Amino acid sequence: MYHLATVLPAVRRLRFPITRDQAMLLMLALNELLLGVETFLAHSISGTIMPKEWIPIIFGPTAGMCLFLAGVLAIRKRSLATVIATVIYLASIVVGLLGIYFHLVRAVLPYAPLGERVSIPLFVWAPPILGPLTFALVGLMGISAVWMEQPTDSGILTLFGGRRLRMPFSKTSAFFFMVSLGSLATVISSVLDHARTNFENPWLWLPTGIGIFGTVVALVLGTLTTPRKSDLVIYMVAMVLLVLVGMMGVVLHILNNLAQENAIVVERFLRGAPFLAPMLFSDMGALGLVILLDPREKDESEGKVDEIQPSDNLGDKRN
Amino acid sequence: MDQPSKPLSSLRVLIIGLIAVVVVLGVAIIILVIGNAGQPVNLEKVDVLAGSTDECVTCHRTATPGIVDQLSHSTMAAAEVTCRDCHEVTVGYPGAVEHEGSYVLAAPTTAKCQKCHEAEVAQFYQSRHSLPAYVAVAGSKDLSPTLMAMYQSIPEGTFAPDKARNAIAVLEGPQITPFACENCHSIGIPAADESVGRCQKCHIRHEFSLEQARKPETCNNCHIGPDHPQWEIYQESAHGILYATMGSTWNWDAEAGNLTVTDFPAPTCALCHMSGFGTNGTTHDVGDRLSWYLFASISQQRPNWEDNRSHMQSVCFECHNKNFITSMYTGADAATQQVNAWVQASNDLVAPLQKQGLVNTANFDEPLDFTYFNLWHYWGRTTKFGTWMQGPDYTQWHGAYPLQQTLAELTQMVNAKLQAAGETP
Repeated sequence: MYHLATVLPAVRRLRFPITRDQAMLLMLALNELLLGVETFLAHSISGTIMPKEWIPIIFGPTAGMCLFLAGVLAIRKRSLATVIATVIYLASIVVGLLGIYFHLVRAVLPYAPLGERVSIPLFVWAPPILGPLTFALVGLMGISAVWMEQPTDSGILTLFGGRRLRMPFSKTSAFFFMVSLGSLATVISSVLDHARTNFENPWLWLPTGIGIFGTVVALVLGTLTTPRKSDLVIYMVAMVLLVLVGMMGVVLHILNNLAQENAIVVERFLRGAPFLAPMLFSDMGALGLVILLDPREKDESEGKVDEIQPSDNLGDKRN
Repeated sequence: MDQPSKPLSSLRVLIIGLIAVVVVLGVAIIILVIGNAGQPVNLEKVDVLAGSTDECVTCHRTATPGIVDQLSHSTMAAAEVTCRDCHEVTVGYPGAVEHEGSYVLAAPTTAKCQKCHEAEVAQFYQSRHSLPAYVAVAGSKDLSPTLMAMYQSIPEGTFAPDKARNAIAVLEGPQITPFACENCHSIGIPAADESVGRCQKCHIRHEFSLEQARKPETCNNCHIGPDHPQWEIYQESAHGILYATMGSTWNWDAEAGNLTVTDFPAPTCALCHMSGFGTNGTTHDVGDRLSWYLFASISQQRPNWEDNRSHMQSVCFECHNKNFITSMYTGADAATQQVNAWVQASNDLVAPLQKQGLVNTANFDEPLDFTYFNLWHYWGRTTKFGTWMQGPDYTQWHGAYPLQQTLAELTQMVNAKLQAAGETP
């Protein structure tokens, strides 16, 4: 029985139109799109977007659209769609790592005297060094989701030409780890951001606490081979809390940005509390919840076969 | 089907261990950041370029150590902006000079600033601080067609399209004016590359400190003295008193565009006229929130005065209620019109002399010309500025009172002239 059905047995009667990996891929395509929008808003803060700052702004929506198209293509040519998606997700990792580098160099003073080159206040005031990591994380999760695992939860991925790679963990465990790391990056980013306000607002402790809780719970669950129902309930509560704290953050950030008499001043939304940023908590929570869905491929869930089915003529060398 | 590869299960413990390390380190960073929260970045204490091997830095550390020291403690240097980014241009760039094998601008123009600060330069271009400031002294006859079109698109340009060089600048000559009128009015001077203005008039090089640009002392570089005593009036006002007594506790490095009364409990020049505050976005158009052309002899309301007024009042609303603000504006409008009436009276007085060719007030060749000019340029303006900026002593004893006195003197002078010409006063 899969994790969600363990927590909520009534779910077993429901038939989801898409598989867990498809749901994950859909979420990640949406992520790429929204990351582009979020980056556009963040890079607009100074009033001028420099050439290299356009990279993620253009990449995000382009990648998102291509991934949606790849999803449609997968109905007929799964292998080709898999290759396209893999390339896009690899590019996403590169964009993320590049972004971390560009943000990091703004947070260090390479020619300052030793001991003064790196400091916490500099990291607080610099562009968010872990912000671009989201692109890399989405890329990593995407690559994990796009390759079929058979048998389910075996950790054996089927690659090009039917070659099979046995990973150290099952896909489900790997997803738990990735959500844990994603949640950690999110909470560190939020703490760096909120440190500017000296944590004077008590609401700021909420995402910090819930973020750390979600991080640790997801990490522990990844290490458990057969989690008990109580483990899964706690995990699910943690993920739901992440979703809720993100939504609450959006509302609080918007309220914080409103000028007198609730007037909307665009500049305050651009340069003030980033209203889309808290959605990263919700994003991690939602991705964490998707992991609980039935991990079996559609054919398996219908009780047909436990073997990969060639869906097209690309590189299929099966015997 | 291919057989699965050799199991990578030996990596399980390593991976879990590494992830655990990352998580523990991450939590440690969170605790560390919370512990250090609210600490400002004290760049003024760090020599950002101490170990720089950049040729410009190493050479100028000996040649002009002051500017390197300033830049070393600036946010510009911390953000990896180099000397070349602002100074270096291509061969043949207008105004470029050869320097140690490359071509540079001794003073970077707004075209260079615009590369990173596009919106700010665009706003500045539409303001009184750009071409109108320059034309007010130098006249507009030397403007290129492009600059002329730009000048005429600025509200202050359409109001007073003064084509001639200022009469006082002509009178005082080139030995004085570069150190006088032209010094301040060069804030809007055109450059050889046809960009306009000098950002460094307010953003003093080479530290480019946000705090320095925001503090009212920066504005007092020009907005001082009998013809535009905004600095003195501000010091006298309740706003200025709060700045003088409490300003050291204000958040001078607060992030632009999102300022609140917590950062600035009382206004400064920049806060009222430029900052993102109340329902206003940040602007470098210093006229964006002004209702009247107060600098003029007879003030008119600006083309978008109602919008401008609502912008300024939005700043006031952060601390004052509607009745207070409406009452203040109604009173100040009336006071402005009263000054207009007095200046008009002086114009009416002098008109018969001008009509008969008995005087040419633009020549500044006899006492009457100076008295007539002082009436509006000193006392009229001071009365209006004092009213709008709440400096009662300037409205009264440095404004309305000497204006009345000057009007009486002018009446006497005009009558004497008319009598001397055989006319009835």
